[in-house]
Amino acid sequence: MDIAIDTRDLVKCYGARRALDGLTLSVPRYSLLGLIGPNGAGKTTWMMSVAGFLRLNSGSIDLLGEGPFDTRAHRGRLSILPQDSDLPLESRPLELLTHYGLLQGLTRREAARSAAEILDDVHLGDRVNAPIRSLSHGMRKRVMIAQCFLGHPEVILLDEPLSGLDPREVSHMRDLIRRRRGRQTVVISSHNLHDIEQVCDHVAFVEKGRAVRVAPLAEVTGAASLLVYHLTCAPLDLGALAAAAPQTTLSLSSDGLQLTCSYHPRDLSPDAVNRLLLPALLDQPCGLLSVSQGSSLESAYLKSL
Amino acid sequence: MSALRQVWRVASYEWFDALRSRRALVVLLIYMAAAVCNMYWSISFLHKVETKLASALLLQESSRAGVVSTALWKSEKYQELMRAMVNNDEVYRDISGKHPVELIYAWFAFFYTPLLVVLVAGSRIAEDLGSGAVRYVIFRTSRATWSVGKFLGQALMIGFALLLSGVGAYLVAKVRLSGSGAPDLFLNMAQWSLRAWVFSFAYLGLAMGLSHLTKSASKATALGILAITVCFIVTVLLRYFTAETGWRSYLPYLGVLVPEEHKMYLWRSALAPLVSGTVYLVTLGFCYLLCGYARFRKQDL
Repeated sequence: MDIAIDTRDLVKCYGARRALDGLTLSVPRYSLLGLIGPNGAGKTTWMMSVAGFLRLNSGSIDLLGEGPFDTRAHRGRLSILPQDSDLPLESRPLELLTHYGLLQGLTRREAARSAAEILDDVHLGDRVNAPIRSLSHGMRKRVMIAQCFLGHPEVILLDEPLSGLDPREVSHMRDLIRRRRGRQTVVISSHNLHDIEQVCDHVAFVEKGRAVRVAPLAEVTGAASLLVYHLTCAPLDLGALAAAAPQTTLSLSSDGLQLTCSYHPRDLSPDAVNRLLLPALLDQPCGLLSVSQGSSLESAYLKSL
Repeated sequence: MSALRQVWRVASYEWFDALRSRRALVVLLIYMAAAVCNMYWSISFLHKVETKLASALLLQESSRAGVVSTALWKSEKYQELMRAMVNNDEVYRDISGKHPVELIYAWFAFFYTPLLVVLVAGSRIAEDLGSGAVRYVIFRTSRATWSVGKFLGQALMIGFALLLSGVGAYLVAKVRLSGSGAPDLFLNMAQWSLRAWVFSFAYLGLAMGLSHLTKSASKATALGILAITVCFIVTVLLRYFTAETGWRSYLPYLGVLVPEEHKMYLWRSALAPLVSGTVYLVTLGFCYLLCGYARFRKQDL
């Protein structure tokens, strides 16, 4: 597998506290990876280390196969949305982003065009010449996100990109990030698991400075081996259901409203499982509300704790 | 892209951005106003002296300043006063023929430049470190480029402030001394602005070097003011406490590190001391900046 970011045994201490405690994490090239973990788990520290903002106590980073971050090797190839960082307040979005584009090696024309396009993309086309000081919190956040996409960098690190945005913009930004799939490597740190689930194809659970699980999203949520049936009431006869689909394993949630059916994707497809299970289920006096593929990321994450 | 071009990009944007900073703009305007007022009051004072002199000599008084002062500054008394004030024969020789108004402006520019530098530029790096704005830049260019670019951008800003104050002071002199037969001072005043700008490099390096050490803009300004105070104290020590023997005999070595001790070169007319003073002061500025940068280079952001 082609790896965009390979970090091994990273240790970063702040006094006695170990923000990163041997964190090992590889990000496949062109993947959209979501970093999930509680506050203080080390997600932001990891991103800052990859971008060369922090000096590590130990460990190794290989960014795009050219060692740790170095401006000469990685200028214009990596960008980051850092957390809790303000843009220069007197600047105007268009000229600031053009300046950033020039710094990362674009020509003046490319930088100006790229800046105008991306600002338009984040719905700031009408505020490109307004001082950043005069923009609302959400608008500033969109400028911050926009600067990450200037000049098509190979790796983009986004730390809490969707916090502080209104629902319409959240949805739009999710689309904007999703469009990168297969073209750029994007790592997103967020506490909003729904956003991660909507956008990412890989996830990493980070706990106490270590990556405890790194896997494709489908594997974590069981999207390829799990069907969940949402019911109006508990089925009366679970044995009859099990007999209808003998190659599957059935389990019922404690309130009886969720029937989980796990199967091996090599033996069965979701359609096949439905063909076996649904008639038996509809024979029983319980209504079927919906069927979903895999469990939610939230429940998968909470189960992993 | 060459490193120099990167430095220029950071510097030009920094200058552009600094011009829009309200605080820098206010300080710049205050400095310019102070230069203009200083010139106005100095000429008014000169006029009063002239009036007294004219009445003592039973000459006809003039409503304009500068009519009698040509005779005044060429007088032996005035020259003696100058010699005592300058306390350096070579400098005295070089400036003794210059118009007093020009010298008043030069004194003002040299005296207040350190304060201007600290108030305008002293907090710029600390501000960006504190707000996190630096994080948007240093994955696009190196930390060294950013530091040097900020330094040069602020140097341009200070140069602009000095040029404006020079123009303002010149216009006041032009109006107040018109018809007095005083020489056209513009080029001379511009030259003093340029010399004050060279002098500012050392303090700019000091202030911006210190600015790397903190993430608080007000702390950076306070550090800058403290630094110019220390420089002033060291200058006084060097001037009045140096002795032939004992620890005080080592004091002159400290002079190498203090911008004030190289300032006298900039008062000279000959090219050699001017060049050597310029080299000293600019190098000193970069050395101070480098000290701050040395910490910033390894700092977590």
